[in-house]
Amino acid sequence: MHQHRPRQVPTAARVSAVGLAVAVSLGLTACGPSIGGGEESSTDVLVAPTETSGEITIWSRSGDLYEVFEGVIDKFNEKYPDITVDHQAVDIGAKLQNTLITATDVPDGVFLDDQLVPGYADYLWDLSDVLAPYTVDIAQQKLDVNTVDGAIYGVPWDLNPGLLFYNATALEAAGIDAESIETYDDLLTAAEEYKAFRPDAGPIHLEQSAFLGQLQLEMYASQLGTSIADENGELRLDSPEYEQILGFLDSVQKGGLGTRAEYLGPTDIAALESGQQVFYPWSIWFDFAPQQLLTETQGDWRATSLPAWEAGGARSGAMGGASFILPKDGENADLAWLFYEFLAFDEEGYTAVYGPNDIYPDGLNTSIPSYGPAAQADKPLFGTVDALGGQDLWKTAVEAGEQIPGSVPTPSWWGGAVDYLGNNVQKMLDGTMTPDEVIDSSTTDIQTNLVDRQ
Amino acid sequence: MTASPQLAPRAAWRPSGRGPRRLPTRRALAPYVFIAPFIAIFALFSVYPLVFALRLSFTDWRGAGSASWVGWDNYTYLLTSPAFWASLGNSGILWLLILPAQLVIGVVAAVLLNNAKLRLRGFYRTAFIVPFVTPLVAIAQVWVVVFDQNFGPVNGLLNLVGIPDVGWLVTSEWSKVTLALLFLWKTTGFAIIIVLSGLQAIDDTVYEAASLDGASRARQLWSITVPLLRRTLLFLVVLQTLAVFQMFAEPVVVTNGGPYGSTTTAGVYLYNHISRADLGTGAANSFLLVIAVMVLSLVFVRVLRPKD
Repeated sequence: MHQHRPRQVPTAARVSAVGLAVAVSLGLTACGPSIGGGEESSTDVLVAPTETSGEITIWSRSGDLYEVFEGVIDKFNEKYPDITVDHQAVDIGAKLQNTLITATDVPDGVFLDDQLVPGYADYLWDLSDVLAPYTVDIAQQKLDVNTVDGAIYGVPWDLNPGLLFYNATALEAAGIDAESIETYDDLLTAAEEYKAFRPDAGPIHLEQSAFLGQLQLEMYASQLGTSIADENGELRLDSPEYEQILGFLDSVQKGGLGTRAEYLGPTDIAALESGQQVFYPWSIWFDFAPQQLLTETQGDWRATSLPAWEAGGARSGAMGGASFILPKDGENADLAWLFYEFLAFDEEGYTAVYGPNDIYPDGLNTSIPSYGPAAQADKPLFGTVDALGGQDLWKTAVEAGEQIPGSVPTPSWWGGAVDYLGNNVQKMLDGTMTPDEVIDSSTTDIQTNLVDRQ
Repeated sequence: MTASPQLAPRAAWRPSGRGPRRLPTRRALAPYVFIAPFIAIFALFSVYPLVFALRLSFTDWRGAGSASWVGWDNYTYLLTSPAFWASLGNSGILWLLILPAQLVIGVVAAVLLNNAKLRLRGFYRTAFIVPFVTPLVAIAQVWVVVFDQNFGPVNGLLNLVGIPDVGWLVTSEWSKVTLALLFLWKTTGFAIIIVLSGLQAIDDTVYEAASLDGASRARQLWSITVPLLRRTLLFLVVLQTLAVFQMFAEPVVVTNGGPYGSTTTAGVYLYNHISRADLGTGAANSFLLVIAVMVLSLVFVRVLRPKD
């Protein structure tokens, strides 16, 4: 009878196999990033193409905007018949970073949120030269957020002015004229009056999502011409401007004048529909809510400029916005520039996006162009908005947009700051922190965990 | 009788007297040739990423340009960071909320489903596995609505019996419970299937003998089923421990790691470094997480391994 024993693999063979695997791995690892000073940077400046033929791969965010851009390609091809556009709907947040790091299948152009542009600057073309003919007409805030060390890394696309949305019907019933609100003090007074009229109300929206709360905080700061960090990336939270903003939010909360809810979550919608929440200081894209979500109060809502922090101050700040970036590893980035130039600066292009189209018969009204000739108050691209009682939102938004002060690029660690500033603002609204504590604690934590580790 | 394996004399398998040296050399090389594809694939897709990540964990690299060698800095930063320990703590609490409950539910449900007299057995088995195959994002949206503090049906039901609203998703006290309930709802069907497969491997004659000896059903469950399921339960515990510590999608889609980081699991915390292009810290974090999970798994293996 045979007895099977496991065969003994000779030690030398085992060592050889492991050695081979390690040698191959180490060899391959050498293909990774080189270790050096870590201070490499290049300032490749994109040059407009001399030949206009080839194929470009364009990444757009999935959803309605993708469909709208898709509809413009035919018009682009009328002008550039030899450029084939491979337009792809992509989860950009999930794919872009890996694609740029690995330099594999890199698209020629990408739609990207403004706040993310500076973080990718090392991978992108400097667009200063090609944008030069247009910069004088582009909103300063959009140029600023795309500029790093004097180089412009994004084609500025839309402007997202902050507006004060209000329920006109509910406020009229309480005898309040929202159009007379000029400062945040006026807003507090109006909220108190509404609260007196309707005791169960929390008239002003207080954002409960840490991320969106921080975004809204930056909208308020933008109005005051400041932001979380200066152009050198130095923190500037510890300032009178942030004290003023946090003090306002704290007053709303302590005075029982706010509805604390996540943006358009079930609680938020219920409070908006019931008339408990009647003031919503938010970016223009809130207009999506009355148009599609607030079926009970559709038509009751209006929009006006944000109140100013001081009488005569700026009546709007930026909240959100996107631009187009052109990766250096894209094969035909110069041709992609022509596509974005058409979209952003050619009348036929921006009219096709913002004007009536297959997706939005009355035009796209969740933002406005950042290019001056496209954004003229008396030349609306999108129509009046029925859900806002037939209001000319275009005029309101363009006039507000003109008041947005200049800005600085968003630091690459902005998203990480939500763990500190965003959370601390929520703690303040919970009543467990004071505005001063929010500033002190956030400053220390952001400096230690984010700024110092850049 | 035990026979020693006999090695055939080399000459016996020589086809001829010619080329006596070449054939043994080729034979000796043959195994290496056969395993070479595996070694190459293993090196490329397993060892290489591991070595790459290990090297990365000692650098500061944002994905572009060259990396800066920072030595142990990423590790010391993490090991002295309250947020890192908080993420491990969050995962630990979730583990405590999930694993014991899942084991009990899994064993009880599997024993019931294993009963041949149970009517609609196939229906129940399918029903238990449906949550496991349902897309998480869809369920997460349902969870957000159902557990809404002010308008969710869960609080509505609690209000009916006089219990005030609970901040399921918006308070750090309850957010982990809500997340644990989602994880339990989604993955307990899988646990039941695993336990069921273990139950079906137990010989029926063991139960017959116990019945003849007068053992009650409960006694059989405790003294026969559970001990004989130890290997299965060990497998389940290790697998689910890995799943809980790597839990990512659930907190991201339901609470986005909040409120106040209370549902930032070890997996989410690790992802946060990667998504912010802090690749060196992310790599160091992944190695620390591997060590933590490995230690936990070894403890479970030691505690739960069968006595025999």
